[in-house]
Amino acid sequence: MPGNWNIGHICTRQQCDAGLGDKAAFRWMPASGPVADVTFAELDRQSNRFANVLADLGFVPGEILFTFLPKCPEQFFAFLGTLKQQVICGTLFSNFGDDALLDRLGDSGARAVVTKKSFLKKLGRIRDRLPHLRYLLVTDIDSHQSGDILSYPALMAAASPDFTAPLTAAETPSVLHYTSGSTGKPKGVLHVHGSVAMQRATARDVLQLGADDIFWCTADQGWVTGTSYGIIGPWSLGVTQVHYGGMYDAARWFDILQNERVTIWYSAPTALRMLMREGNSLYAGYDLSRLKHIFSVGEPLNPEVIHWSRAVLRREIFDTWFQTETGAIMITNRPDLAVQPGSMGKPVAGIEPAILADDGTPLPDGEQGNLCLKPGWPSMFVTYLNNEAAYRQKFANGHYFTGDTAIRDADGYFWFKGRSDDVINTGGHLISPFEVESALLELTEVAESGAIGAPDALLFEKVVAFVHLHAGYVPGKELEIRLRLHISNRVSSIATPQELIFVDKIPKNKSGKIMRRVLKARYLGLGEGDISTLED
Amino acid sequence: MTVIEPLTAIFREVFDDDEIILSREMTADDVDGWDSLSHVNLIVTIEARFNIKFTQKELLTFKNVGDLLDSIQRKLPD
Repeated sequence: MPGNWNIGHICTRQQCDAGLGDKAAFRWMPASGPVADVTFAELDRQSNRFANVLADLGFVPGEILFTFLPKCPEQFFAFLGTLKQQVICGTLFSNFGDDALLDRLGDSGARAVVTKKSFLKKLGRIRDRLPHLRYLLVTDIDSHQSGDILSYPALMAAASPDFTAPLTAAETPSVLHYTSGSTGKPKGVLHVHGSVAMQRATARDVLQLGADDIFWCTADQGWVTGTSYGIIGPWSLGVTQVHYGGMYDAARWFDILQNERVTIWYSAPTALRMLMREGNSLYAGYDLSRLKHIFSVGEPLNPEVIHWSRAVLRREIFDTWFQTETGAIMITNRPDLAVQPGSMGKPVAGIEPAILADDGTPLPDGEQGNLCLKPGWPSMFVTYLNNEAAYRQKFANGHYFTGDTAIRDADGYFWFKGRSDDVINTGGHLISPFEVESALLELTEVAESGAIGAPDALLFEKVVAFVHLHAGYVPGKELEIRLRLHISNRVSSIATPQELIFVDKIPKNKSGKIMRRVLKARYLGLGEGDISTLED
Repeated sequence: MTVIEPLTAIFREVFDDDEIILSREMTADDVDGWDSLSHVNLIVTIEARFNIKFTQKELLTFKNVGDLLDSIQRKLPD
């Protein structure tokens, strides 16, 4: 297939060919242990080795491999090496539980997972339900355990560091991220190699990344921000990144900002709100003179954080908006645009948003409606894997319906208003209420359940679960713990309800559908609206 | 009362890993899945099983498992 695209090649070999081989692609900072600099030449060699590993294992373009790793260098080598081979690379958040893994690996028919030894237990529990899964490549074992549990270090040591990545068409599949909807299982959002054009352009024009910058994106590679802006955008521009393997720690984070001389920082509102709560004295001693800009993504950035940053950090925070499906920033605040605190900002060049009614009619400025985008941008997803019908349902009247609602004001700024479905945005992660409800129903005590997102000062939204127990079971602290841990370990820690409420009945309509709208209204003490369809 | 054994059992349950062996120096960075949200699960479970309560101020002082152990020990009856 003719073309000039290959994300793996563009992020490595192309940078070396431009004379950046000796430049640091990233500084790896583990939670503890020595820091290591990895040059673009080394990133090229390591990803070449991985591409050769896949060739030796018989992978062909279009097959699917997942990484299931915490942030670590192997994540980047495997991701780019997979793309060099035109194998599709999916990434899994390292705190996913059994159900979340099974849904994603099962639906995609993934042939291999790159993971670490301590995650083998989770994968082992679901392995017999994954007939397509052939190999587990384990980053921290020295020798192969069996014919299908293989040592990543041993494979890499035996593989050649030379590989010429075939260039391909813009529409060749590249990256796969699963995203949650309000009904059904998570959907596999498939992107293509041509998406790098949009990720590179927005990294340059929105994040303002240039040759001399040190960039730190705190997102995990399990999510789209972690791949679009923790890998592809900056490395396609030859920009040096900092990658830190530890958890949130305010002092440690500011040590990194100062000592690593970070110039552009991309983080999330929840993290920024946590920093705001630490107390301003923490930041007084830091020299942030190198830090030019702070950007944010994940959920709406409340004006309070912007005002705090202006006062304490002496920096503007620029909120950006995009989705897994859009692959790159679509609407944004940026340094050349006056920030209206609380606003999403304005569209990126080439992006045409519209506010439409449910029937596709354009709405006037100031009126709330569906936030839609005119299709055709380079990083637009090309399908929901194995679910073309769901993909088609996202488009109407010549627009992609994002699922968010918003208004556009008379000055052209967009303002996020909420979701048009039941998806919960907690800490910047989309959680399907269906996944939470399904996990709860796995427990023998639970007869019915319903999950909603409720406003939260830190997380933007928190997961609130309503539980109706079978006769003979009584609510109690131990049961509450059991439910919490079950969701955390079956779905993920981020799906864990912040509140569990035991009720006598879950409201459903006459066809048995959970009326989350009614649950939410009751929780918030609001009117329940039209309940004519509520079952008796 | 020995705290380390029941605390180990709680860690293994919360983080779904039977191989966790606690040490005083251990931090969140040493345990897979120990993020801010699973930390809430950990604290809630410890409070229920040991029948104790941590203050917000105490929670902020825990830098490692050793701090957590010491705090639990102080709250338990002699």
